[in-house]
Amino acid sequence: MMDIILETKGLTRAFGGLVAVDTVDLQIESNKITAVIGPNGAGKTTLFNLITGVYAPTDGEILFKGEPISKVLSRSGRHNRFRVIADSFINSLRYRSYQVSPVQRTKLGIVRTFQHVHLFGNMNVIENVMTGQHLRSSYGFFEAAFLLPKRHREETRITLNAKKYLNMVGLGQHENADAMSLPLGQQKLLAIARALATEPKLLLLDEPGAGLNRLEKQDLSDLIRRIRDMGITVVLVEHDMPLVMGLAEKVIVLDTGKKIAEGTAAQVQKDKRVIAAYLGEDEDEL
Amino acid sequence: MSRKILSQWRLLLIPVVITFMALVPFDWFLGQYKYLGTVIGLSTIVTVGLCLFMGYTGQVSLGQAAFYGIGMYFSAVLSSVHGLNPWLAMLIAACVTGLVALLLGIILRLKGNYLAMATLAVGFVVWKIAVIDDMGCTGGPDGIRGIPYLSIGSFEFDSQFKRYYLVWGFCLAILLISQSIVNSRIGRALRAVHGSEEAAESLGINVFRFKLKIFVVSAVYASIAGSLFAHHQLHASPGYFEPIDSVYLVIMAVIGGLASIWGAIFGAGAVEILRNEILIHYDKWNMVILGLILMVILILMPEGLFVALKTGYQQEGVFFIPRRIWRLARSLYSGIKGFHRRKIAGSLQGEPD
Repeated sequence: MMDIILETKGLTRAFGGLVAVDTVDLQIESNKITAVIGPNGAGKTTLFNLITGVYAPTDGEILFKGEPISKVLSRSGRHNRFRVIADSFINSLRYRSYQVSPVQRTKLGIVRTFQHVHLFGNMNVIENVMTGQHLRSSYGFFEAAFLLPKRHREETRITLNAKKYLNMVGLGQHENADAMSLPLGQQKLLAIARALATEPKLLLLDEPGAGLNRLEKQDLSDLIRRIRDMGITVVLVEHDMPLVMGLAEKVIVLDTGKKIAEGTAAQVQKDKRVIAAYLGEDEDEL
Repeated sequence: MSRKILSQWRLLLIPVVITFMALVPFDWFLGQYKYLGTVIGLSTIVTVGLCLFMGYTGQVSLGQAAFYGIGMYFSAVLSSVHGLNPWLAMLIAACVTGLVALLLGIILRLKGNYLAMATLAVGFVVWKIAVIDDMGCTGGPDGIRGIPYLSIGSFEFDSQFKRYYLVWGFCLAILLISQSIVNSRIGRALRAVHGSEEAAESLGINVFRFKLKIFVVSAVYASIAGSLFAHHQLHASPGYFEPIDSVYLVIMAVIGGLASIWGAIFGAGAVEILRNEILIHYDKWNMVILGLILMVILILMPEGLFVALKTGYQQEGVFFIPRRIWRLARSLYSGIKGFHRRKIAGSLQGEPD
């Protein structure tokens, strides 16, 4: 019996006439590493934005641990692409949806990293990670301003946790450096540590390997496996095939917004539609 | 190592600065400047709020003087016309200003230049309301007189000397409070909003709510300063918070260093001394001179006076100012050659994207 942590049903997002994500049905299993791959413009990042709540879907729903976190109420069932294009304007005016806010999703345990790292350049390394503990602490302006005991208690815990996550990604000795002074590889690790500090159940990594050399990628793979062993489900979007093939237990392939294949790395590699999508063969030749 | 040296010096520096500030109003020391000192204290309070809002949270406010004005008028009207206890009037003024900021908070959905325009408008509107006096309670351009002094029991802050300590007491409290906010969970959330709103949101920080909260806090700071001013000057009028004063406040925050709480004292001090002691002798040219000074400061030390002094000291020791002036003079002397050399160095440093 496999345990599904995240599920999408008929998930669709259209930007005007462009359907970035088109009726995608996904099932992400708990405690596994899943990779989402696809050529440029396949809708991978949009998918992430839908899951984290940056965008609302135009149709379909997203279930996290069986509970809906995004759901479009007025339109249900399947529909075709041309209908979406034709109705997109009217839909944008009339569709109603149920959306859990991004902040609430982080609280539930969905967190992401960014392709362009997005570290906080005005803080040092450890403060970046401590910011990740924001939702796992609760003292407010008043306690902060007057140095009340609650602040002290929570700060101690936050600092300890931050150090734990920093050591886990191997940046323990850089804790007082400026975040932006680190090389890109370490910045990516720091972004992962920051995301881990939110104590997620589901970690979404947007191109974690981009811009890293082979050694750094090796370290990254090890780190992602360790994160999986902590009981965190990892979903990564990645262009680098060797990294994905070595790491992912399940691969989902998107092309022009549609899911075209899914399975283990070996299965996907042999899939004709995947090869066509990547090499750009005509469908007639298949 | 530099940190260690600094902490040793800091042990000496802090008592020296505190003693200096405490001795300023005595006649045998700098007694003639106690009014200026009080004004610097008031400006520092507003500037700290602005530093929190602009430097730490990365927003823009060109209307901070409006909140100063609201605080000043509420204190003035409540304590003089309605005869309320000045402390109570001050508290009510702070609450009202906070509420106004909360309602105006909708403009924080705007970003960058648009936010600057909106806050600028707030500054103009509040000032204009006070000038026009449609409701018949602000006294028009003449303002309000007959405001009582603040007092504790029978001890009345009726002399310049006493009020200097009152204002700086408030100022110190606000500096310490702001310092502890900045180093806390809240401060990190604010800085995260500045660093990257998307990333902050992804970590579960409610970006808009934090912008709103810090906007209210900075407005309350400005209001407290305004109330103190009303009970200090015993006069409230639109002349004390003209829209241009908001710009002066931003200049103070920038000169002091936007992202440094204690720099606010330096910024407020520098601008107020310039305005009240130096530029007053060049009345037609004052804005030109101030603008030039601001330009030079922004070019030479974009992080502000306080931060520049601190890092300069950390890097080069006690005599870093003469050293830097010498270097600057030398590079100016070598002229084009120096420019050319720097251009090459710059092109070597620039990384390919």
